[in-house]
Amino acid sequence: MRLIFLNLSFMLLLQAGGVLDVDWSSVEKSAQQKSSKAYPKVLLEGIKEVRLPVYLSTSFIENKSMVVVADKGFYSISFSLNGATLLFEGDRTYQESVSPQNPEFQKMVQKAAALEISESEGIMVAEFKRHGANYAISIECENPKTDKRCTQEEFIRNLYGRLKMVGGHP
Amino acid sequence: MRSVVALFVVSLLFFTACDKKTKPDPKPKPPIDYKGFSYTAPGALVPAKSGVGRRGDNYIYAPGIRFPIEHAPAYINSQVYGIGGYLGERGSLCDLRNYQYPWHDNFCEKRGWSMPLCAGGKGHQGVDIRTATCDKNRYYTVAVEDGVITYIGQYTVKLRSNSGRTYRYLHMDSQSILVKRGQRVKRGQRLGLVSNNMGSTKTSIHLHFDMKQTIKVGNQSKSIFVPLYSSLVDAYKRLLSGRP
Repeated sequence: MRLIFLNLSFMLLLQAGGVLDVDWSSVEKSAQQKSSKAYPKVLLEGIKEVRLPVYLSTSFIENKSMVVVADKGFYSISFSLNGATLLFEGDRTYQESVSPQNPEFQKMVQKAAALEISESEGIMVAEFKRHGANYAISIECENPKTDKRCTQEEFIRNLYGRLKMVGGHP
Repeated sequence: MRSVVALFVVSLLFFTACDKKTKPDPKPKPPIDYKGFSYTAPGALVPAKSGVGRRGDNYIYAPGIRFPIEHAPAYINSQVYGIGGYLGERGSLCDLRNYQYPWHDNFCEKRGWSMPLCAGGKGHQGVDIRTATCDKNRYYTVAVEDGVITYIGQYTVKLRSNSGRTYRYLHMDSQSILVKRGQRVKRGQRLGLVSNNMGSTKTSIHLHFDMKQTIKVGNQSKSIFVPLYSSLVDAYKRLLSGRP
């Protein structure tokens, strides 16, 4: 265990952050070329600088009440629902770099599932990787202990299942 | 060449320091004292039954951050296992013993939450901080770095720093929030008042503060919560010195 911490700390000391490579070849051509004229202006304007594929669930794409915060390396799109706040995030930046030989982190990335759903602090989160970037969907409820959107996976799993690329470019 | 040698020497010293701190303790170490402020080592969770911390991980993941509460004193200790806590000694959450040094790390404290860096892959993903007194809506949180407010939820505010780190501030009073989504903020700028807000379910009066960052491992990456205790100790010392 001691060795793990030493390795971790040493590697972290040596490496700085940067930008992850996005694999645009893995993005469906049809999704890239699809006309986005139908999308709300707030979305189109908000994500025009984003350099990674932007995903939203189909049921929220035309929701004009969204708030978009973004730049080249990330986006954050949130919605105020009835008694909850919904958030879609994507990020292609990294802040630390660790050697692939680092056993703790090597194990961590190898163990990572394609989709990881977890609940903490009353917030349900779905995390996944696509095209080399990191994505998350999260929902935070006014009644975190009783609202099924925050206590059960079904709602967020459903959102994940309906993701659609709405923008972003190389 | 000089910088390479310097880096080597620093690394060696770091190794030695870590090595000393990760040897099994026959008995708990006394708190470290700094101008009247004292704190126990990173990863030394109190009480012991509250979980397994990341002992020996003294790395400052967020160097140079501003302490997230505007003024000292503030107290880092367990909300769950502290006096009056859900699994703590019976008593009031406002017991004065919860409002005194030394600080105790509570990153990785027992929870059922997914946490890759904690023993068993589960634990508390942040640090709980009590304000000077047990009063809600009295003490301001502040931005720890320059950045942008990316999200405001039912009881969460997210700040993405220019470095790409994402900080979460939980349990502020919703009515007290002074920022909006998309607003750029400066280090030290007020965000809102510490409270017990967790939607309709009230929690104890404290700030849950955490930080998520993406770590690249070879050609893969993962976004994870990292330990902040050492960064906060460093920030608090600067706050006490009048150079926050």
